Amino acid sequence: MSHPITGNRRSVVIYSLVWLMVSVTQGVLYHYFLHFSLAVLVSDALTSNLLFGFLGLLAWYPTRYIPFQRQSPLYSILAHVVAGIVVMGIWVLLTVGILNALFASQTDYTEFLNQTVAWRAMLGGLIYLVLVLIYYLVSNNQKLQERLQQEERLKGLVRDAELNLLKSQINPHFLFNSLNSIASLTMTNPDEAREMIIRLSDFLRYSLKHRENEYVPLSEELGRMKDYLAIEKVRFGEKLLYEFDISEECEEFPVPTMIFQPLFDNAIRHSVYESVDPVTIRFSCMRDQGHMKAVVSNDFDPEVPSMKGTGLGLQNVRQRISLAYKEKGGVHWTGENGVFTVSILFPRIYI
Amino acid sequence: MKMTSTKIIIVEDERPARDLVRTYLKEFPDLEILGEYDNGFDGLKAINELKPDAIFLDVQMPKLTGFELLEVLEHQPEVIFTTAYDQFAIRAFERNAVDYLLKPFSKERFREAISKLKLRLESKQKGVKEESGIEKIRQHFAESDERLHRVVIKKSGKIHVISTGDINFLEAQDDYVMIYTDEGKYLKQQTMKYFEQHLDSQQFVRVHRSYIANITCIERIEPYEKSNFVLILKDGNKVPVSRSGMQVLKENLDF
Repeated sequence: MSHPITGNRRSVVIYSLVWLMVSVTQGVLYHYFLHFSLAVLVSDALTSNLLFGFLGLLAWYPTRYIPFQRQSPLYSILAHVVAGIVVMGIWVLLTVGILNALFASQTDYTEFLNQTVAWRAMLGGLIYLVLVLIYYLVSNNQKLQERLQQEERLKGLVRDAELNLLKSQINPHFLFNSLNSIASLTMTNPDEAREMIIRLSDFLRYSLKHRENEYVPLSEELGRMKDYLAIEKVRFGEKLLYEFDISEECEEFPVPTMIFQPLFDNAIRHSVYESVDPVTIRFSCMRDQGHMKAVVSNDFDPEVPSMKGTGLGLQNVRQRISLAYKEKGGVHWTGENGVFTVSILFPRIYI
Repeated sequence: MKMTSTKIIIVEDERPARDLVRTYLKEFPDLEILGEYDNGFDGLKAINELKPDAIFLDVQMPKLTGFELLEVLEHQPEVIFTTAYDQFAIRAFERNAVDYLLKPFSKERFREAISKLKLRLESKQKGVKEESGIEKIRQHFAESDERLHRVVIKKSGKIHVISTGDINFLEAQDDYVMIYTDEGKYLKQQTMKYFEQHLDSQQFVRVHRSYIANITCIERIEPYEKSNFVLILKDGNKVPVSRSGMQVLKENLDF
């Protein structure tokens, strides 16, 4: 946040004009009620007001760095009182010191000066308080503007992310081919067609949950992923095999919904689609010191020239994990010896 | 068996989808299914051997996609595409294939496709000279801006599928293009313009009227004769560079 006065030229001019008016007013009052020489009047007004004007600018910094906390206002007030006393101390000492030195010969003025030290300090304190309040107003307003802008930006980001997720989540190939399989099964095997519709519904309903960006126990997430694989199994038959190795300690671990879907989708798209031999997709997970590591792997034929670009789905997963867990989580993948492996590290979280 | 029976082959990688087509076909006793194949390679072989009148062809298949299959087909049957998702700009081919069926499709829609097929076969029998549908499909792909990821080539009776990334350079040879890879060279009936248009322009540069080079395979560039240059590739091959080719290379390689 920039300084509200020195930050732009207009504020500097206004601030200077205010202090010039105060100086003139002070000079005029002194002239009518106290009969000192013009040099004394001008010097007093300029010295005290120029110094205050400068110190007043510094009052921004305590305002900036002592945030007003609703929970403990006492702390903030105390901090400002201390800062105020320090600033006013410097101001009074400097003003009185300079003026005393300038007009040492005019004893009636120096006497007056020394008598009004307490008044000056009190008046200065009041003005200081007003300045601090103004600064708070300005800074709150600035913060509000910034927050509004940030919120707007975040909303945009969230919208984009959601859109991308929705787009990437359900591969249209999967959806329409599944519907075609169901159409076929209604004639050859109506019971299986019904089962497949139920699985597809469960899976689609679950994928819509995604928008709420919630966490579910791993067992629930994997339940829906099994639905997904079972649907694909109807399409691909013996070509698609899958094994799940879920240790009991992992079952309740909370994971973001649909986080594994792109992994299974990738495995199917890049190996089952492109292969004529059976492909096995494996899932395993383990707990370690509160963390959970989940691994999805599949066979692939490195000889087959790939039709599609890789990694978009995986980038998506990596982005979600980093959004959810910052640097504590992680996604890694390797493709070696005909096995493609993706592992996700979930840190322990409290919900 | 009736003399007029129409021979059909189904090339489709998913069993339920094949079941569906077979079941729908039951009400047409004059259509005879010669076979069903679950991948492009087997389908290709069967079509060339059994010479069906028409094929039901899926686009997304392992080993060889429906389009790639059509590219290297010798026998040219009528084609009905069956596909789930309009990702391959199928609509552009609509006029040339007998029909394209978007999965899932109804029995009525299927009957419509069969009627169109019969009309097409009849006019063929009457000797109406028509450019083959497949030829037009190929042309449409050539004119589209679809990015090429792999190239299918027939060489001494075998089908080779080459990932475009494995191509070192291409050389024009009359009506053909010679494709050079680490594994060997392959002749393909195609134009240089086609490859220039469909290969990734970030990676492949037309360095000469008769040459396209994969810039990731360049070892060094040497001056050659007066103001010409020659590329020395990592595999040792030399590719001439024309003056305008050098300009494009400079832009792509940023020097």
